[in-house]
Amino acid sequence: MKKYALFLGCTVPIRAQHYELSARNTAKELDIEFAEMSGASCCGFPMKAVDAGTALLIAARNISIASKMNLNIITLCNSCTAMLSDAQLELKKNSFYKKFKELGFSYPHEIAVKHFVRMLYEDIGIEKIKASVKKPLTSLKVAAHYGCHYMRPSYLYGFDNPEIPHTFDELINATGAQSIDYHDKKMCCGGSVLGIDENLAITMANHKLNIAKDSQADALVSICPFCTVMYEDNQRKAEAKFETQYGLPVLYYPQLMGLSFGFDNNAVGIRFNRVRPNALLEKIGGQS
Amino acid sequence: MINLKNADPDFKWEIIKKEGGEGLLKCFGCSDCAASCPVRYFDDRYNPRKIIRLTLLGIKDQVLSSPFLWLCAHCHACTERCPQGIIVAEVINAIKNYAVEQGYCPEGYKVQLDLLRKMGRLYEVEDFDLKKRQKLGLPPIDKTIPEVKKILEYTNIATRVHSKNAHVNPKSEALNSKQIKITKTQNSKQESSPDQKMEKK
Repeated sequence: MKKYALFLGCTVPIRAQHYELSARNTAKELDIEFAEMSGASCCGFPMKAVDAGTALLIAARNISIASKMNLNIITLCNSCTAMLSDAQLELKKNSFYKKFKELGFSYPHEIAVKHFVRMLYEDIGIEKIKASVKKPLTSLKVAAHYGCHYMRPSYLYGFDNPEIPHTFDELINATGAQSIDYHDKKMCCGGSVLGIDENLAITMANHKLNIAKDSQADALVSICPFCTVMYEDNQRKAEAKFETQYGLPVLYYPQLMGLSFGFDNNAVGIRFNRVRPNALLEKIGGQS
Repeated sequence: MINLKNADPDFKWEIIKKEGGEGLLKCFGCSDCAASCPVRYFDDRYNPRKIIRLTLLGIKDQVLSSPFLWLCAHCHACTERCPQGIIVAEVINAIKNYAVEQGYCPEGYKVQLDLLRKMGRLYEVEDFDLKKRQKLGLPPIDKTIPEVKKILEYTNIATRVHSKNAHVNPKSEALNSKQIKITKTQNSKQESSPDQKMEKK
């Protein structure tokens, strides 16, 4: 049994409960235990553009919570992963640590920060996931969306290949589904500019929706709530703007993994998917 | 036209002092950042190389008042490809931080700051949400995290955000005065994107 502190951030526990639910349920199946981080706040990323120092302190305070529990942090959101990893590095600098101490925070144990998917790849392993698959999703072709902060910046993570990432594709293939090759796989979802220029953000999201649809993917598979906001919640807006119809389901990876483990729709929160994945569910012989 | 008469030679040193601004001087202007940039692929108002060049030249007011600075998605595609090893996205972020200090802060961030001060998170946790979580078997979460406010007060971020009365000037022509050009993506036969261009090389 592996034990971690689960960091939820702002979006996941309120707007993406199906991500959290499926992550927790699949983790249980894989003998992973999550401890709750009581008092955890926003990761700090939203304040980075305003003042990086403030954002880092907010992030470091969250790290402090898990450090006191002596547990490594698992994140579900790519941006939280980047922000917390950045602060973890920053805590090693004296000037930053001094401010952190002045605020009354402590960092008793050095801990690591990992994205849920990275943890699956590195700590659990493809073989164990394959061994848990009871219903291989062999009829599915899906488009993996890594999202920027899963493997970039590489100086923070040193994980996967920032130019030709492969770990997430391998994890998708482990469920029996085929992770398709498509161009612009690394394209940004546009989420970070949504608040500044919605028109541009929707155009960026549309780009990948268009390619994924064109590649006849049954779904886009995401590992970040921000990316899903762009591809799923804003899919209608992209359709209206570009006068087209996608109807492309966007699943979170643990949902896909859960389905391959033979979980029912409720255990992976399918009813919370805003673009109904009915056709996909029929394809794998489940209830739609 | 860039007029160097009004240039501020100290501007670049101000940026270098900021968190993340360290690598600025190493830029030799190759434009790999702009070529790798997913935002620039769709909207050439945003050009990281241009922002960095103007910063090095000291064209301070134009860089700071430009709304295009804020289009950086902080995706780090540029960082991965900079031959000089500059953490480009962090340099752009340092310029944003400096712009805020000088009174240029997009309204959206002010709203987010207020939310964080009040709740310590971006979305309000209502009783409805807690009930929904309970129904799903998910553990409860804190409604507010007051310690975030303590951090915000410690770094005095509010005075920076609300300093002076400068606003992002949407009419700034400093970086690129081209009209917003958003092209509809066509199926299959579109121009190759930064990724593809790299792959072809």
